Amino acid sequence: MMVRSMLRAGAWPAVLVISGAAVLMGGCGVAFPATATALLPIAFTLLAAAAAFVLDEPASLVVDVTPTGPARRTGIRAVALLAPLGAGAALLLAGALRGLTLLWAPTALALAGNVVLGFAVACVARTRTGEPGPRASGAVVLVLLVPTLLPAVARRVSTFPPGGDGLSSNAVWWSVLVAGGAAVAVSVSGRLPGLR
Amino acid sequence: MTAAALAARELRRFVVNPVLLLAAAFTAWATVTTPRAITEIDTANWYVAVFLGGFGMMATFWLTRSMRGSEPVAGVTPTTLPVRTAALCTVAVVPFLYSVLLLIGFLHFYPIGDRIYGAFSSPTQAAVLVGQFVVPSLGGSLLGVALGRWVRFPGAAFVLFLLLFGWGNLVTLPSLSHPDSTAATALRLFAPFSFFTFAGNGPDVTTWRGSPWFFLGWQLALCTIAVLVALLRDAEGRVRSRVIRALATTLALAVILLVLAVNGGFAQAVHA
Repeated sequence: MMVRSMLRAGAWPAVLVISGAAVLMGGCGVAFPATATALLPIAFTLLAAAAAFVLDEPASLVVDVTPTGPARRTGIRAVALLAPLGAGAALLLAGALRGLTLLWAPTALALAGNVVLGFAVACVARTRTGEPGPRASGAVVLVLLVPTLLPAVARRVSTFPPGGDGLSSNAVWWSVLVAGGAAVAVSVSGRLPGLR
Repeated sequence: MTAAALAARELRRFVVNPVLLLAAAFTAWATVTTPRAITEIDTANWYVAVFLGGFGMMATFWLTRSMRGSEPVAGVTPTTLPVRTAALCTVAVVPFLYSVLLLIGFLHFYPIGDRIYGAFSSPTQAAVLVGQFVVPSLGGSLLGVALGRWVRFPGAAFVLFLLLFGWGNLVTLPSLSHPDSTAATALRLFAPFSFFTFAGNGPDVTTWRGSPWFFLGWQLALCTIAVLVALLRDAEGRVRSRVIRALATTLALAVILLVLAVNGGFAQAVHA
């Protein structure tokens, strides 16, 4: 009962609209394979932004004083990550069926890394505000755009396979997964200052 | 509070906006790190539009949505909401002027007449640069105000930015494989930013179809539409009907300018 009401109270419109925009963008990349390496990273960035909205809790003043701990609340809300992850998986599946020549394992890792990054930033921000989505998603988008838009950074860091000579996308996303997992664990444990 | 005082107040808020400061820093960094020896301007001309236009849009969206923060001051004045929106629109002068400075700097390193600009005449090369540096920087900020006045969803600006960025990539593609196609040209120019040349890192520059002058007109029409859409919100009575009439006229003008942009310029792509 509580699980259902907690899930119902989530920022589903934001998560679904942004995931939908990602599917639209990534779908164009799948439909026109020459643009796949440009449009799929944009789609993944949108999925990271969608993941940053899953912890939004408009009634946080009430919810945060209930006996349910942050770990359980975060765990329940994490179910909503299935929306961006499912959208990304659908794009990868469509790409595979279309015969795109992508490195599938590193691309799937990039998808997971993007979503975890959005979620981890939201988890940390949730310790300070009830609705971390707007700020967290904006920050995540800006961070993810830097390697795409700044040639000087793009030469050193890749966020989408195969990438260039610098830090590979695999190294980036494994690091993000580890750091993101640690950030989520610390933020739900109540050890961060300002935890609600 | 007069419109000028409101505009000054919004300008003061805008110039300390973190997203705008980030955009200014990124633009400066990209400018400094761009190689001096390039084979085509497309290597160096897009980041101003992306950062000052795209990030500028996010900044003005944020500024517009935070108008509620100004309510204690602005809300008690006998100023109508369209006047306050117009005051907000004036902040676009900041990225506009910055892009003009960057364009002057760009011309210092890559002067007009260089072969990297393709087969265009010197005045048309200037039109290409104005359409790639200055007008997107102005238009992005104006679009952010319009978006902020109509859309409540807090992530709307970055979603629109990413969609426009993706759209820009998508519509350029057909011109690479079909440079002489009218449909490909129309698709490429149906965007707030467009490339007019392509070299693919090779020595030969291909000048694509399309008129940079009319494209400039199309971009300015889009800027006007953004302002009018922003002003339309909460406009009442005669002001509202005037804005709607002006919007209809500008929309028609935009379509005409786009058609002229597609059909103007070279009849076929020029390889040189």
